[in-house]
Amino acid sequence: MNKTFQRIFAKAKSENKSCFVGFVTGMDPDYESSKQILIELSKYCSVLEIGVSFNTSTSDSSIIMSANDRAIKSGAKTEKIFQLIKDVKREITSDTAFVTMGYLNQIHVYGIERYIEDCKKSGVDGCIVVDSNNEAPEDDQIFKELTKNNMAFIKLIAPTNDSNYIKQSLKKCSSWVYIVSYAGVTGSKDVNLNNVKKLSKMIRKQSKIPIGVGFGIKSLDDVKKASKLADLVVCGSSIVEKIKEGSQNGLDSKNLAQFVGQYVKQLSEGVKH
Amino acid sequence: MKIPPFKEHNPPDNLGYWTNKKTGEKYGGQYISPLLIPNLKKVETGFKKAMKNKKFLADLEEQLVNHIGIVTPILRSKELEEIAGGEKKVGKIFLKRTDLHHDSSHKPVSAFSSVFFAKHILKAKKIITETGASMNARAVASACAKLNLSVEVHIGALDAEKVSLNKDITELYGADIKVCHDSTKSLLPAMAAALRSWQSDPTAMYVVGSVCGPHPYPLMVRTFASIIGRIAKKQMKDLIGKSPSTVFAVCGGGSNLSAISYPFYNEKSVDIFGIESAGKGIASGAHAATITSKAPIGILLGARSNVLMDADGQVDPSETEASGLDFSGTGPEICYMASTGRIKFRATTDKEAQETFLMMCKKTGILPAIEACYVIHAALKEIKKRKNPKENHLIHLCGSGESNVARMLKYKKDNE
Repeated sequence: MNKTFQRIFAKAKSENKSCFVGFVTGMDPDYESSKQILIELSKYCSVLEIGVSFNTSTSDSSIIMSANDRAIKSGAKTEKIFQLIKDVKREITSDTAFVTMGYLNQIHVYGIERYIEDCKKSGVDGCIVVDSNNEAPEDDQIFKELTKNNMAFIKLIAPTNDSNYIKQSLKKCSSWVYIVSYAGVTGSKDVNLNNVKKLSKMIRKQSKIPIGVGFGIKSLDDVKKASKLADLVVCGSSIVEKIKEGSQNGLDSKNLAQFVGQYVKQLSEGVKH
Repeated sequence: MKIPPFKEHNPPDNLGYWTNKKTGEKYGGQYISPLLIPNLKKVETGFKKAMKNKKFLADLEEQLVNHIGIVTPILRSKELEEIAGGEKKVGKIFLKRTDLHHDSSHKPVSAFSSVFFAKHILKAKKIITETGASMNARAVASACAKLNLSVEVHIGALDAEKVSLNKDITELYGADIKVCHDSTKSLLPAMAAALRSWQSDPTAMYVVGSVCGPHPYPLMVRTFASIIGRIAKKQMKDLIGKSPSTVFAVCGGGSNLSAISYPFYNEKSVDIFGIESAGKGIASGAHAATITSKAPIGILLGARSNVLMDADGQVDPSETEASGLDFSGTGPEICYMASTGRIKFRATTDKEAQETFLMMCKKTGILPAIEACYVIHAALKEIKKRKNPKENHLIHLCGSGESNVARMLKYKKDNE
């Protein structure tokens, strides 16, 4: 397991809580605001998941797609996302894990080896690659590079997947596994806890790996319920919506960060057991 | 006419890749969220089953013959021979009249086959698809109306705003049209939106309008569409006693190029040409010529293939007068065939295609789809260059131009 995640899980255990994972699209709505938001969110999140925008993504809701568009318009590029993470890490004191979330095309174009090397250099602890099929040669290469650098390869498991698929995913998955709570795109439905229970059971038959839950978690109550079932609770679309709201109301980067931070602070309190 | 059965002679591997043995480059694959993997496996297994199911294949063929009207004529065009320099100098030119299909293009063949497959093999109740120029949407919606399935069509907001006969017909056929406001608001984000919608409704079946998308779609669409080429090959044999010297087809995503040329892949004596849209010119950057402009390999909408994109991997919008060619990628098998040199590529500008459109109307009495004019222009140029009176040339006239009339009339008036 990646060292940062080891410490985070140990700390959460000692504090009798799950880990809160906050997702934002890197550079949404712009570099400076995104930097301030991430610094603020690091106070409340055990893990920060940072989206690397792709303008033709196949699994994001229109909420995330709009965030991708805003980020790309403000000049988001893979290299700049690494710079952003470096800048944020320089200014925070908390022991927060950083994860990138993106699509294979960006990584392929950047170069798989170079991408993971730069992740490492920027202080990224793990990667989620939404469309990296377990059987694809690129997936093997990503797994190899991440393992070499002791970084997490966080695989997604969906309600439509069977035990064979789960088995195949767990072979390469490290630090934690991400359960997608419903069949659909990010933030489009309410969290489905029955699916989470069913999938957790299937995973537990094969592995003791920590389990994260995401998709549809948008209220304090959702966080409370999900944290009873999972080691990590991921909240994305509703945070991204707050960023959009604050930014449309003309808040400057500091105030936007405060505005989003207050929302995340309140949500993150739900992870206490 | 007895239609020759399908033969697989360019299979991808089990993971859906065509690999160029010289370069090691892979084309195709299945790059998609884990949510969709089971759906794709279901389509893959169903497709294998369907291709062995004699009753399914016979019933489908009967529908394609009598409903789509797939046995279209091959017309020898003496007018085009004259324009190219005369039969004595350049040989004979034949047009495969796919424009005479039900719903006026090659699209209804793979669309009807896919919907027929969804109903009878997968037992799906709903179809999800995407569209640019609404040619695919019209074909899928028509098939769904006939086969009593509901259909959801995703279309980019910019395409939806354009006045389009095909879109109106799609609506009349009963499709639920979903307008997509993401990204470039065109075909590409519409395709992504369709894939996302499929994730939310795994009991539906996704129908792809071209030889693109994750495995098994590129394989399945070209297999269904290639009945056009199988018929054309037999017709050419009946007409001239052999296969043609050349086959010309236009290429956006690649479905109509695959449709006509696939049965000739193994015949080395047949030169195959794919014609792309050079838009305002390749150098201008405003084009849809993925292969001709040497676009790099990317991973787009579930497959590894050549993609128009920037240095950071963001997909660049394509630009062309022909909505049917307005796509930033090309199907993986076509990219593979281009990489081996089996299919040669040329590109025609919008202006050249528009002039060809007017020429076709005036000199041949045929109203071609603007898409077909890119290939006719490039074919005439190539045929003149080859200057071989012994050759027989086959051009795929892939669609009819009703929906281009208003824009072309304006072009004609503006340029008089």
